[in-house]
Amino acid sequence: MIGLDGFRRVRGCSGRTSSTWRAKKLLASVLAIGALSSVTVGGTFAVLNSQESNVGTTFVSGTLTLSNVVNTTGTACFSYGGPASPGNVNTACQALFLSTSQNYPGVPITAKVTLTDNGSIDASDLSVYMPSCTNATTPGAPAPGGGNPCATAGAQFYLQENDSSGNPLKCWYPSAVGACTFAANTLSVFALNFSTTANAVDLGAGPLHGQARNFVVGMQLPSNASNTLQGQMAQFGLTWHITS
Amino acid sequence: MTALKQFLLGLMLLGAVTYFGGGGTFASFSAQTSNNGSSIASGTLTMNDTVNSATSCLSAAGTSNDNVNSVNQAVNAAGCDKLLTLTNVAPGMAASTAKVTILNSGSIAASQFSVWGSSVNATLNTAVPVGTFSSISVVGLEGPVLSGQNLELNYGSNLPQTFKASSSVTPPASPTTPVTINVTAPLGGTATATAALPIGATMTDTSSNTDSTATATNNMDCYDVKTTGGTATATKGDSLNFNPILGNPFCGHALFFMQETGAFNYCWYGNGAPGNPSENVSGLCNVPIIGVTLGTALTIGTVSSSVTLQIPSQTLNGNISNGDTLVVTSGAHTQTFTATQSIVLGTTGVTGVTATSTTPFANFTFPIGSTVVDLTSASAMNADTTSTITGFDTLHNSTGRIPLAPMTANGAINAAAAVQLNGGASRTFILGLYFPTPPGINQNYLQGLVSTFGITWHLDQ
Repeated sequence: MIGLDGFRRVRGCSGRTSSTWRAKKLLASVLAIGALSSVTVGGTFAVLNSQESNVGTTFVSGTLTLSNVVNTTGTACFSYGGPASPGNVNTACQALFLSTSQNYPGVPITAKVTLTDNGSIDASDLSVYMPSCTNATTPGAPAPGGGNPCATAGAQFYLQENDSSGNPLKCWYPSAVGACTFAANTLSVFALNFSTTANAVDLGAGPLHGQARNFVVGMQLPSNASNTLQGQMAQFGLTWHITS
Repeated sequence: MTALKQFLLGLMLLGAVTYFGGGGTFASFSAQTSNNGSSIASGTLTMNDTVNSATSCLSAAGTSNDNVNSVNQAVNAAGCDKLLTLTNVAPGMAASTAKVTILNSGSIAASQFSVWGSSVNATLNTAVPVGTFSSISVVGLEGPVLSGQNLELNYGSNLPQTFKASSSVTPPASPTTPVTINVTAPLGGTATATAALPIGATMTDTSSNTDSTATATNNMDCYDVKTTGGTATATKGDSLNFNPILGNPFCGHALFFMQETGAFNYCWYGNGAPGNPSENVSGLCNVPIIGVTLGTALTIGTVSSSVTLQIPSQTLNGNISNGDTLVVTSGAHTQTFTATQSIVLGTTGVTGVTATSTTPFANFTFPIGSTVVDLTSASAMNADTTSTITGFDTLHNSTGRIPLAPMTANGAINAAAAVQLNGGASRTFILGLYFPTPPGINQNYLQGLVSTFGITWHLDQ
């Protein structure tokens, strides 16, 4: 139709009496062919084709999460139970010791911590650190001594790993083979030297996914504790960290 | 009647007699031949797609009867295999790969052979008869459809029919679950089918794979969901509050690569491909070797020489390129080497790699089990934020197809070749995914996610 219109426009200008009539007719034909080519090229040169798709490929990331149970009877605290940001960090798990259970020199107290990789990916590394140790007055203490159990000559601390039956495997701090024993200044040294992820105590590989590791945290006021430690308390936390 | 008229009438009679009776009147002898029975037969251009050693799928077996097979195999067994089904992936794990062989099973040479990231796609679950309609029901929906996007439906030899989505939908948990999409005519108003669209017709969202940046409205074929199953008793993705799927973060993080193998090697997409900052001239994509250890102790004490790093016989899970930096580590001891040979991913029975060291050897014996890391590829991959599935989908969508010109040498192709896949010929590709582990970056937000995507292969006469 484009070509015919063009032909009519040419004819309308001067008609067949024009001296250029033949040339115009020829050009109009060329115009028609060109127009037809342009509007039909898609159909004229359409060729064979073939097509296949591999759809539905899936790439699934695993999970690496930690559960934390204190004294085996406590409620499990999950790493993903914390806020969405930074995510997978839960700072609200159960305390190991409470200030209501008052301690006396030479009398140890312990707490068990069971850490389970309840994700689907094995932990390649487990570490622990103590972000801070803060001295405070024991609530209700009639005559606080003013000493600092977080400081040198203060409270003693150890971290021991047990098997699932409760048998000692290794004393991670202070480092020793088998069961731990109390030693002087251990809380202050631990708090000083292992306070961030960068300098955390490396507890080695694992747990594997679905498996647990069992730890015992021991605390004691030295048997020769100064009276200045009366009515004082050490406030601290332990942060457990796993990586894939 | 004048004499002239009589003469002219005579001429007319003579002409008429000549015209109607001349053949018989003047033929004394005759001869005649006929070439009957000629035929013209069209050739075929069809494709077979084989993933690893699975059963081939055929382009002609697609449910849309147009030599296009894009059906999800979960919906119809005639569909092509998915490339990979990878579960429980952690950062830095070895890349997972699939070998895809594309065969031109027809008789006609293909002048164009191309690949691209599939558009958002599905197949009709309910037939649409000729006439007006307001919605379509589809299965195998891969990717979200957004209201206002253009949908193209194809079946048989009919021309594509184009409509516009008037509702937004997301893929269901199972590809076999039907999804209803409201539609209008392309410019609004009631949609009208000009030809019947039977069950199995393909639906393509031609507006997709163009916007990977908008977090809430991106329209990519690759999409993320949270895991709801997997390892028994393990935490599922939908239990986590720190792994949002807006913006399909896993699709935008997982690295994708496609390397052709055969007489030569060519990295068509991925880290190491031409144009990539870490282009690998050997034709190999950068894919790190993971979990490789010494199988024989390496006792060294001399200065600089060529050695063979002996490893237990294995199928290599990454590429080692000639010139790559290899680091052998045992505890705090390391020794750096330069590979003097290339070994292609997937090569079986690899027992060692030759290398040299230009740095003085450590006065140390590296025991069996010392790790061997290809630092070049590992560093390149772990720093790569562009060679992702999302990157492939957007850069190489249906309008940015990769023309698969034939290889002429390692890392070289003939872009001007008139034929890219002859009838009866095949070409083989290694496609893989890698979850990079950029140093110092917390990737918890990528836990418990599933990325789903597809790729499309195409032959033109």
